[in-house]
Amino acid sequence: MPRAVAHLKRRETVGPGHYLLHLACPEIAASAQPGQFIHLRVGDGTDPLLRRPFSVMLTNPDEDDVQVLVRTVGRGTELIADHEEGKQYDLLGPLGHGWPKPGPGEDIMLVAGGVGVAPLIFLADSLRTVEDRPYVRAIFGGADQDALVCWTEFASRCEEFTAVTEDGSAGETGLVTDVLVPEIERDRPQRAYACGPDAMLAVVAEICAGAGIPLHVSMEQWMGCGVGACLGCAIPAAEGGYVRVCTEGPVFDADQIDWERMNER
Amino acid sequence: MTSSGPDLSVQVAGIAMQNPVMSASGTFGYGMEYEEYLDLSELGAIVTKAVTLEPREGNPPPRVRETPAGMLNAIGLQNPGARAFIDEKLPQLREFGVPVIVNISGRSVKEFAQLARMLTVDGVDALELNVSCPNVEDEGMHFGVDCSSTGELARAVVDSTDLPVIVKLSPNVTDIREIAVAAAEAGAHALSLINTLLGMSIDIDTRRPHLGNVTGGLSGPAIRPVAVRMVHEVAREVDLPIIGMGGIMSARDAIEFMLAGASAVAVGTANFVEPATMRDVIRGIADYCRRHDVARVAELTGALRID
Ligand SMILES: Cc1cc2nc3c(=O)[nH]c(=O)nc-3n(C[C@H](O)[C@H](O)[C@H](O)COP(=O)(O)OP(=O)(O)OC[C@H]3O[C@@H](n4cnc5c(N)ncnc54)[C@H](O)[C@@H]3O)c2cc1C
Ligand SMILES: Cc1cc2nc3c(=O)[nH]c(=O)nc-3n(C[C@H](O)[C@H](O)[C@H](O)COP(=O)(O)O)c2cc1C
Ligand code: FES
Repeated sequence: MPRAVAHLKRRETVGPGHYLLHLACPEIAASAQPGQFIHLRVGDGTDPLLRRPFSVMLTNPDEDDVQVLVRTVGRGTELIADHEEGKQYDLLGPLGHGWPKPGPGEDIMLVAGGVGVAPLIFLADSLRTVEDRPYVRAIFGGADQDALVCWTEFASRCEEFTAVTEDGSAGETGLVTDVLVPEIERDRPQRAYACGPDAMLAVVAEICAGAGIPLHVSMEQWMGCGVGACLGCAIPAAEGGYVRVCTEGPVFDADQIDWERMNER
Repeated sequence: MTSSGPDLSVQVAGIAMQNPVMSASGTFGYGMEYEEYLDLSELGAIVTKAVTLEPREGNPPPRVRETPAGMLNAIGLQNPGARAFIDEKLPQLREFGVPVIVNISGRSVKEFAQLARMLTVDGVDALELNVSCPNVEDEGMHFGVDCSSTGELARAVVDSTDLPVIVKLSPNVTDIREIAVAAAEAGAHALSLINTLLGMSIDIDTRRPHLGNVTGGLSGPAIRPVAVRMVHEVAREVDLPIIGMGGIMSARDAIEFMLAGASAVAVGTANFVEPATMRDVIRGIADYCRRHDVARVAELTGALRID
């Protein structure tokens, strides 16, 4: 059954308003695939009422360990920021479809924005042990250096790593997409993976489509059930209509998404 | 049922249910989405997401937003259409071995009647008329807030099927009793209430509504007292079985609805919070009956005491 109880072993502050949860959860540690998410019940009562979705950032099955990166943005995540060690979380998961694996020895590009780095760290980590390991390049962007949370965890799992901030406080100055274009021109990757704000993903999708690079994106949407029943997490599909982030996603091929309708809001 | 345990079975409009607990339309998909989380064969019945004649895409996102002790939704009746429902969903739904109640919605009386004829097939145990969806312009809602059109619609559907017809009432009216009476006079076999309360919330930073559809339907514990009051009012006015719903999270809440006059209850938003809520509600009702020497759960219906 895709549900479990997790114990908070340790909560690490990894930047202003950013926390890394170390959870003891054998079920998720053993079964989560990179790109999948857990649907966490934050409180026991009716405030907050609904579960909150979070990507799995790393697992260590030998130690029943699951790491989840949380950025505080509202009521639920602020409560998490105050939880004490030993706190028990009821969770559904692992849920959704994760990242498709790259081909053997492929040259791949990972593009992360802010906390969008979490599922990409898991992907990069999982590739370390595969045979004929792909060559992994990564670009990690944020508003400022504080937004580049867990960058060492990311950089240490990639062959090449470029940081970029809008205010120039770390790495290059600009947007991830400003770095992506010259990187692709220098050496065209065979496949790309991206997770971050919708606006970033839309531009990355445009760039990759223009360069003929297959792109996988991890999408976010407000959720109800997390299991495909409520149709609350719909995003516009390229073929018309909508797809569910929780069930068909959260990882999609970029050409499954209707980016024009995504941008309407 | 062991000889010592309470009898949880109920009859609602001729539908025999092993217990009074069913899913609320639109919150439980077509059942299979929750198969891994609870044993669906234990439920009183399964009520499906709204089915329409043609496939519907639904509303633009965001479609859901949490609010204090509740949530707003504007899904917009996304569904694959009646044909695909019958061919692809119904066979699986029947496998669970519990009554299947199909929630239907249409743009006109004619469309509702046509849907009712199409869905009068083996494996469908009753139809629930969604005359009260707040999320689609010019649909349902406009029937559900007006007595003569509710009556006309209910009669047309009753005449088009030999299945029991449940009319689902909207709370977004001045006096829900009038609509209930109109449905009863038109021949409806049961009533279900309440659908969601029309609501709205705004992101003050962007100054935009949170929902893509601007407004949405409010559900969850926040609406429970309104729902209990409406069940109470309708039960006193109309002699039809009532399926009560609105914010039921526990057996305690479900029993409140039964005391107010409901013969059965539906669980909606709570499924998102705890997928096994219905199982817990069923067990909790049995415990309550044991503790209060209630031999048959049906005795609870309308057992409210007002001195
Ligand atoms: C598949 C998936 C994976 C995610 N992974 C992570 C992760 O690894 N780390 C992380 O910090 N966050 C992640 N999120 C976002 C996270 O779920 C939300 O930030 C969280 O639910 C906010 O809860 P809250 O109660 O603090 O905010 P609320 O008070 O509910 O809302 C505050 C603001 O948060 C934003 N928000 C709320 N819910 C969501 C949501 N489901 N998706 C996107 N934005 C939302 C909105 O802008 C809202 O205005 C993920 C979301 C999805 C769908
Ligand atoms: C996401 C969602 C979708 C819904 N879809 C339908 C629907 O298709 N047809 C319908 O009659 N009611 C629909 N409803 C209303 C519920 O069936 C129920 O009447 C209402 O949510 C109150 O119950 P609750 O507070 O337990 O959720 C929907 C509710 C939610 C939250
Ligand atoms: S969150 Fe309910 S369908 Fe995706």
